[in-house]
Order: sequence, then C-alpha cells, then structure tokens
Amino acid sequence: MTAHEVRDVIVVGAGVAGLAAAHRLKEAGRAPLVLTSGRGIGGRCATWRLDGQPVDYGVGFLHGVDPELVAAIHSVGDATPIPGWPRHVEGRGTPCQPRAFAPQSARLAYAEGVSAFPKWLARDLEVRRQTTVERLALGDAGIVLTLASGEQLCGRDVILAMAGPQAETLLVPLVEDSDEVDAARRLLAMLGALPSLTVMAAYDPGTPEPPFEMLYPEDSALLQTVAHDSSKRKAPRALVLVLQALPRWSRAHLDTPPETWERMLLDEAGRLIAPWVRAPSVTRTHRWKWARVDAGCELSQPLLIPLGAGFRLGVAGELFAPGGGVEAAWLSGHRLAGRMLESRPS
Amino acid sequence: MTVPVTSLQDLVERDRDHECEGFGSAKVCVRVVGVAELPTRFGAFRIVGFWNNRDAKEHIAIIKGDVLGADAVPARLHSECLTGDVLGSLRCDCRDQLIMALKKISAEPYGVVLYLRQEGRGIGLLNKIRAYSLQDQGLDTVEANLALGFRDDERDYAIAAHMLQSLTIRSVQLMTNNPKKVGALESYGIDVRGRLPHLIPPNPHNRFYLETKANRSGHFIDFGGKPRLTEQHDLVMVDGMPDALVEKE
Repeated sequence: MTAHEVRDVIVVGAGVAGLAAAHRLKEAGRAPLVLTSGRGIGGRCATWRLDGQPVDYGVGFLHGVDPELVAAIHSVGDATPIPGWPRHVEGRGTPCQPRAFAPQSARLAYAEGVSAFPKWLARDLEVRRQTTVERLALGDAGIVLTLASGEQLCGRDVILAMAGPQAETLLVPLVEDSDEVDAARRLLAMLGALPSLTVMAAYDPGTPEPPFEMLYPEDSALLQTVAHDSSKRKAPRALVLVLQALPRWSRAHLDTPPETWERMLLDEAGRLIAPWVRAPSVTRTHRWKWARVDAGCELSQPLLIPLGAGFRLGVAGELFAPGGGVEAAWLSGHRLAGRMLESRPS
Repeated sequence: MTVPVTSLQDLVERDRDHECEGFGSAKVCVRVVGVAELPTRFGAFRIVGFWNNRDAKEHIAIIKGDVLGADAVPARLHSECLTGDVLGSLRCDCRDQLIMALKKISAEPYGVVLYLRQEGRGIGLLNKIRAYSLQDQGLDTVEANLALGFRDDERDYAIAAHMLQSLTIRSVQLMTNNPKKVGALESYGIDVRGRLPHLIPPNPHNRFYLETKANRSGHFIDFGGKPRLTEQHDLVMVDGMPDALVEKE
C-alpha cells in the first residue's frame, strides 16, 4: 500500500448532507476534507446557468419544519431569498415532497438558484472536485480511500454522504471487517431510491407566461412536476420551465436515449399547459438516477459505525433523517457531525 | 394558569391554547385535548389524550385514581409497539410489560401509564420491520445497534415530563428496572421519589429468561431462535430471574 497522508475527517460527497456535516465539523475546529466526483458542488441542489440565468434542475425549492434547518436556509449570504416560493401552485397531483406544503412548513427559493445554499455551506471548506472514490478499505492508520486516479487517501473518520445505492456499493469491501457495516449495507439494499428524468426548456421572448409557479398535474402518467423556473429570477431573459418525470415512468425510460424522452415529456407538458410548450428554443436534459428517497424509506438517524482502532465510518444523506429532501439531507449531516463531536471533540 | 383545575376534564379547557417553550432539545410541547372513562379488562381507568403541538403526534396517559396534585404517583413510561402490544409478538416483551404496568397501577390508589406514540421508540414501524428483517438474515447484534440502537430516549423523557407536568402530578415513583432513567426524568424538573422495579411474571413465553443466559451480545435468544429485544426503556426483568443478568445497561 502506498504511503498516504492521514486526514482527520474525509467526507465523500459534496451534496447538502456532506457539506452540512463538514461545515459543522469545521466550525468545531476539526479539519474535514470534502471529496466530490462532480465538477460542481451541491448534489441534487443543482443550478445550471443558461446564458447566465440560473435554472434549478434538481431540487426546485427548499422547505422544512426543523427550526435549525429553517434558520440555516434563511441565513445564506450572497443570495436573495424568495420566501414562500412557490406561491402559485396548480394541479392536484402529488408533490415530490408532500410535506413541503404542510401548514408549518417554511418554503424558500433563491433568485441566484438553489445551489446558493450548498455554496454557502462550502464557503470555508476544503473541497476536492472531480475526485471519485472507488473503494474503501480498513488500514492501520484509518480508513483508506482508493480514488479512480489510483491515489490513496486515509481518514481516521470517514463520512459517506451520497445517494443510498452509491453508499451501499462503497460499503461492500468493508462487510468482512464489521457486522455493523454488513447490516448497514443490507439496510440500504432494502431502501433504494427513486429516479427522475428532467428536461430544462427555455422559450423565446414574447412567449406567454404560465399562470403557475409550480404545476403538479393530477392526470399525467409521465410528469410529476412542471416548475416555472424563471418566475424565481430577477428580470429573466428567457421563460424557462423545468419538467420532472414521475419515478415509475423515469425508471422505465432510464436507458432510453435522452432525445426520445425529452420529446415525450415536452409533448406531455404541451398537452397539459398549452401547445407552445412543445417547442422550446433551447433544451437540456438531466437523468437523475437517484433523485430522491421514497417517504416510506426514511430512517430516523445517520449511522456512525466504529471500525478498527478507533476509526469511525459515518453514513448520512436524505435517507437518514425525517422530512425528506434538503431538510433530511441537512439534518442528517448536521446530526452526524454533532454525534462525532460529542464522542471525540477536537 | 387562570382556569381552576379540580378534575381531569378541566385540563382540556386549561390547555385549549397552551403553547410553551417546550421540553428537551426537540422542544416538545403537548396539551391535553380529551379525557374519557376507559374500562379495561385490567381495571377501570381514565384515558387522557395529548396532542403534540410541534410534530402533531398523539400521546396518551392511562390514569387510575385522582392524580391531580398528587405525590409519589406510580408512573410507567411505555413506548408504542404495535407488533407486541396489539399483535402479541414474541420478538419483544412489550405486551407483558404494558399489561403488568396496567395491572399494577390498577391495584394502587392511583397511578399513571404514559403511552408514548413513538413506535419502535422513534424509528417507526416500517424501520422496525426492516430491523427484524436484518435480524432474520442472521444479524442480531447489529440489528439492535444499528436499527434500534439510536432510539431517541431523550425525546421520550421530554414528552413524559411535559405530560406529567400537564397532569399537575407533583412527584412520581418511576416503574423501571434501570436506575439511570430516574435521572433522565429528573433532568426535566420532575421530582422522582423513588423507583419501583418492573418485574413481569414468568409465563410460557418468557420462561427462557429464567433458564438461559444472555448470549454474547447481551441478547436473550428465545425458544423460537429469535433474539428477544428490549424495545421499552429498560431491560426486561422476569420475576425469579438472577439479578446478574439484568442491570447492565
């Protein structure tokens, strides 16, 4: 095994869960290193720039009831909150997160895009991008991470903060070392995740504005939501809609070429809204293989598993707290960091 | 408190717009919303329904006698367990423990069972079933550690403390086998005047506690080959069981 630097804490995954954990650890004086395979950060809290205009193509807005989470999403610097978005909701279909519309739930978007939240969490963190972890192993000095580049890193504490099926894969080599890891892996295998095929569609100036901010169609076998994304922007140049497909339909079309399902989703949105919706000037697609957690699958707590000589493996993410979505992701990371600090303060 | 409280029924009027800072880190706040007679096969009780203002959960107190303003009230905390309480599951001892608590307070001048709607002690029914499924795959210690190991005792005790305060109970005798639980309740300002061991009588289903030793992980394996789990707040004590097997939490 090649020599490698031993880090205090390594967080794998730069979505909201991983960043929330790293942010809390850093505030408490620990030195977390965050790794992400992507070029950007934020995971499903994702914002694309269309000629500079933000387009949220994962999470459409943030919501929650937990007082700490609500405080956190309202205290994001460098961002213009749009409290209450979406206010104009149409359709009687099921939202991705029905609890978003519970009476106590606070809702919020940002004019700069939802990725403002993860960016704010990451502002003081050391994040290595385009760094894919391929394998975990238990070493003498800590948990050894083998990267796709062949390089090895080692952490005394390692946090996996990613979609459940991804974490499950990374846990496999550690099953021999720990019954707890074996149980965690089997537990994750029972839970799974729901996919969502997503189309971002921009329209020429002069296109009529749809009357809604969010549409939850009640009579579609394809579409779960249509977000009127440009209604979140200050002086948008283009009208932008974001179409997100239902889990079942998405799963059936995951391996279909994107141009095929893009056409089907645009046609369906045209049927539901107006014919002009079928003919955008610019489109972009994204295949969320693990878009979200089914509400029946949520666990109550993040996992913290002792391994070897005082090393610890944490697992956080949307699965590991109540509430779903960004709220659960943030809470799981925040709570996991809290537990790690309780048992081993800096 | 401007509404005079002379009967349990008065608590409903008193609490109509109750909202306080809440107890514990979860800031739990409950209010009394209904009181009724509850004749049971274990005795005549009254049932007091509580609504949790913060997470919309329902909890109940099962009450014997006049507990308003009373001292040294025998009190048992019970976490909801659908599989044990209702279905008579033998994967836990919840039903025996609940029935024993009801029988005991029925025999006292007064007493209370706080029935907390925290299925699987907060992990939820579906995750409890997943935990059992892991156990079926041969993972017993892990199952407890991982799936049932992160139970939110702190929250349970916060809810219980608020319920006792709402009932104007001055002090309690806690029915538990775990001395540490006394302090948990005291930390919320409840005056605990003592501890009553919660022994359940031997029966054909729990006889193995008297005959076998705990396995290496501290769990008892029952005659069906399934580890028996403690889903309540304290370890199981069957009358006649050696003490050495008990207080290890």
